[in-house]
Amino acid sequence: MAEPIVKIEKLHLSLVGGAGPVNILCGIDLRIEAGETISILGPSGAGKTTLLMALSGLERPTSGRVEVRGVDLGTANEDELARFRRKNIGIVFQSFHLVPTMTALENVALPLEFSGQPNALEQAAKALAATGLANRIMHFPGELSGGEQQRVALARAFVAQPSLILADEPTGNLDRETGQMVMELLFTLQQEQKSTLVLITHDEQLAGRCQRSIHMADGILRPVGGENR
Amino acid sequence: MREPSVLLQSLRLARRELRSGLRGFGVFLACLFLGVFAISAIGSFSAAAKVGLLNDASALLGGDLEIRRMHRPFSDEERAFFKARGEMSQVIELRTMAGNALKDQHALVELKAVDAVYPLYGQLRIEPNQPLAQALAGQGALVEAALLQRLNLQVGDPLQIGDLRLQITGVLKVEPDRNVRPFYLGPRVMISSKNLTATGLIRPGSMVTYRSRLRLADPDRAEPIIAELHAEYPQAGWRMQTWRKAAPRVRMILDRLGTNLTLLGLCALLIGGLGVSGAVRGYLDGKVMHIATMKCLGASSRVIFNAYLLQVLFLGAIGAGAGLLAGGTLPYLLVWSFGEQLPIPLQPAIYSLVLFTAALFGLLIALLFSLKELGIARQVSPVVLFRGYSETGRKTPGRKIWIAIGLTTLMLAALAYFTSGDQRIAGGFIFGVVICFLIFRLLAAVVINLTRRLPRPANPSIRLGLANIHRRGSPATSVLFSLGLGLTALVMIALVQANLGDLVNGSLPEKAPAFFFLDIQPDQVDSFEKRLASLAAVSRIERYPTLRGRITAIKGIPVEHAKIAPNVQWAVRGDRFLSYASKLPEGSKLAAGNWWSADHQGAPEISLTSDIAKGFDLQIGDSLTVDVLGRSITAKVSNLRIVDWSTLELNFAILFTPGVLENAPQTHLAAVHVSPAGEDEVFRAISSQFPNISAISTRELLSNVSRTLDRIGGAFNAMAGIALLSGFLVLAGAVSADQHRRIHDAVIFKVCGATRRDILLAFATEFIILGLAAGSISAFAGGLAAAGILKGPMNLDFNLHPLVILATLAAGITLTLVLGLAGTWKALGQKPANYLRNE
Repeated sequence: MAEPIVKIEKLHLSLVGGAGPVNILCGIDLRIEAGETISILGPSGAGKTTLLMALSGLERPTSGRVEVRGVDLGTANEDELARFRRKNIGIVFQSFHLVPTMTALENVALPLEFSGQPNALEQAAKALAATGLANRIMHFPGELSGGEQQRVALARAFVAQPSLILADEPTGNLDRETGQMVMELLFTLQQEQKSTLVLITHDEQLAGRCQRSIHMADGILRPVGGENR
Repeated sequence: MREPSVLLQSLRLARRELRSGLRGFGVFLACLFLGVFAISAIGSFSAAAKVGLLNDASALLGGDLEIRRMHRPFSDEERAFFKARGEMSQVIELRTMAGNALKDQHALVELKAVDAVYPLYGQLRIEPNQPLAQALAGQGALVEAALLQRLNLQVGDPLQIGDLRLQITGVLKVEPDRNVRPFYLGPRVMISSKNLTATGLIRPGSMVTYRSRLRLADPDRAEPIIAELHAEYPQAGWRMQTWRKAAPRVRMILDRLGTNLTLLGLCALLIGGLGVSGAVRGYLDGKVMHIATMKCLGASSRVIFNAYLLQVLFLGAIGAGAGLLAGGTLPYLLVWSFGEQLPIPLQPAIYSLVLFTAALFGLLIALLFSLKELGIARQVSPVVLFRGYSETGRKTPGRKIWIAIGLTTLMLAALAYFTSGDQRIAGGFIFGVVICFLIFRLLAAVVINLTRRLPRPANPSIRLGLANIHRRGSPATSVLFSLGLGLTALVMIALVQANLGDLVNGSLPEKAPAFFFLDIQPDQVDSFEKRLASLAAVSRIERYPTLRGRITAIKGIPVEHAKIAPNVQWAVRGDRFLSYASKLPEGSKLAAGNWWSADHQGAPEISLTSDIAKGFDLQIGDSLTVDVLGRSITAKVSNLRIVDWSTLELNFAILFTPGVLENAPQTHLAAVHVSPAGEDEVFRAISSQFPNISAISTRELLSNVSRTLDRIGGAFNAMAGIALLSGFLVLAGAVSADQHRRIHDAVIFKVCGATRRDILLAFATEFIILGLAAGSISAFAGGLAAAGILKGPMNLDFNLHPLVILATLAAGITLTLVLGLAGTWKALGQKPANYLRNE
């Protein structure tokens, strides 16, 4: 059996707030196979976003182990994590997180530029064309609709052809119709690039489109009735 | 239902907004505080000094009225005339050599012989404490402590002056009428006038100043008495001064210093204006959503504009008020801390006009630099609430605001111009500021355009750094402005100081003589020259007969009515050294006309330096009238000379043809070139053999001037320091106002895979490019300003000091880089997860 792309073992993560430490993740074990699509459902405050951040190396485990493509994210330093991310992980946020002072094209080119790719802008333009924004590449985020901004964010997440895509409620700020369009695009790109997708959502219907769904509550994972299909 | 007035709505809104405190206004308040402090402190100090001088005027002058004359003592008839008008005291002053009677040590001193009535006003302080009459009785002499030190003497020791051996009876601590002068040639020695004759120093042509001081029953009678004296003795050749105009040089220096320092203070305030603008922009940027919400709820643009304008004015009043408080109390603090040690009597008080002007400057700057931002905030569209991002495009505040900005600028310029003591300098300053603003505006446009057009560098961080400069909403313009103006001021001040340093850097100009010997009597000339010739260290002697005279008319027009350029006003202000020569002196170059023949005979002619001729508007053939010891001589200008005074060679602004002055009482002045090792030997040889001949060491003179310039330089440095501090505050403000965006960008970059080095390199590229651009233009603008100051008001040569410029710029740019990167360090260290979680 092939090595899983994501391997999480006994992951604990506590954050220190004003009222003392809060245990967000309480012993997570999870394996995700390469090319798999998996959705994580659960109420607000369950720890879904924190899990995603731990998976992207943006948050460090308090204990336990997070491995992506065989790399232990807990032992890598900040810059090693950044270098790992630019090649292997694409992230899509609920609130897009584009750089408002850069054009759509510049935003998408960022990961390629950081990995020193010579034709970053050309590739970014192609990625934007693939999301249907060929005629909006020189627009700034403030000049785009919410749906368009999220499509730019999708193009940015996929442009370096990472093996793992992490999406945190990507339709949370969009209307239903636009949301559906964005999700279509997300799944199309994922299938084209055969990347692994971890999707956080409140939408059970959307979760149903993933091969596997997991429920999360109080920092603990519970599988939802096996595989979706 | 009636709508509440706009003002009421604005006031209510402003009050609520202000409840959240002064967060984010640190730079705003600090900039206004510093600028207003500088202006009000200088103004208050200057006013306190002027009032103090006027209060102590009679003591400083030595009487309500002083009549002084060089060379000629007052006649019995003249003295009788003075005595009939008030109580009279006579003081005689001259420079001479004093010697340690036991050792072969001599020093140049300023000798003052006083009568029994002295001082008419004020108190002397002597150590050990004793009445003046007792101290000067017999052969008693009082000296300044510096002389004791220089000649290794103590109270009680003998002191040789001329032919007279005196005994030191005490140390002079305070002398009320010691002219408040920028520097002295030597320490004071005070003796009784009865002993003066015995010194043998009063000889024909000796440079002796006779002063008659009068204490009047009614000090206001001083001016009518001057009129009487003019009418009674039109040819007396004396100068008169009333208590109202005591210490004229100090007043002039105070005025000059006040004007220049105020403009430097204004410079600090203007640079601070950028901080105001940055702070207001940062504050209003953070309020975009808030403003949009209020507009959605029905607030009009006017209400929004007025509400924020009121806040700016309120905060401006706090900053300016604190500055006024600190500035206004400075004279009190100075008097409290230094008291009697101050060289000028200060009269601390609240000088309301000074404070009002400073406050007005502060508020106008606050208004000028926030109007544009307020105008932009007024136009915030409620649509941003629905879009999530505010528009990042170029924003303009609208036509009305531009007009208001223009009017405020004019008001500010008018205030600077009309409140300045010297409108020529103020005009130059305003012109320079406008040019600087235009230059840096243009520079910002050029840099932004250039970085946009540059080919894309391969390194992504450098590419990002470049993009940071030309992207929308980039702080490049404000960084270039604050850094550029700050560095311009820095380069200008450094260059002016370096050039002043050139004048007095202690190392003598190559051709400079080591000594000037004054008061050589005609019958001593031969033995004097013989003695010098016997000394191996002496390489060259230049000697001229000299007299003192004053210019009384130009082309027949009395100097009081003649039009004289400001740079040569000095020539008619007092007595000048005159001489005569048959040959063109060394170190002079003929600029116009012909030098007279060696055996010239006929009507008197003069040779004049070309700068004076230009300032007097004199051509070859025009006439100049000079009063020499009461004799009026009108001479034709026959040629003009260019003299390089900086070589310190012996030369004269006015030279007569031979055959005019030979019979007037005169002394000789010699410049003697000596190898450095032999200076002591020559000084000792001449001072011991010719006690009446005063020796001025060029080296000592220059170090004296340099000390004075250091003191004045100290005041300039303090002001420049304030201007610089404002500059750095503004820079820090500009960087910190951009902090939020930088943190956001850094987090997104990290998410996209940027390492800390990538981000650091991007920020460093941005700051280095901005620093270099601002630096190179500052070198140019600062150099130009320094040249303007030195060649204009200071009338000095300008030398470009490339090393000074480079060092100044390197320091400035390094500091910027450090400051900029320190500001972005927070952005680098930001944990992305925390940021993303809170967004």
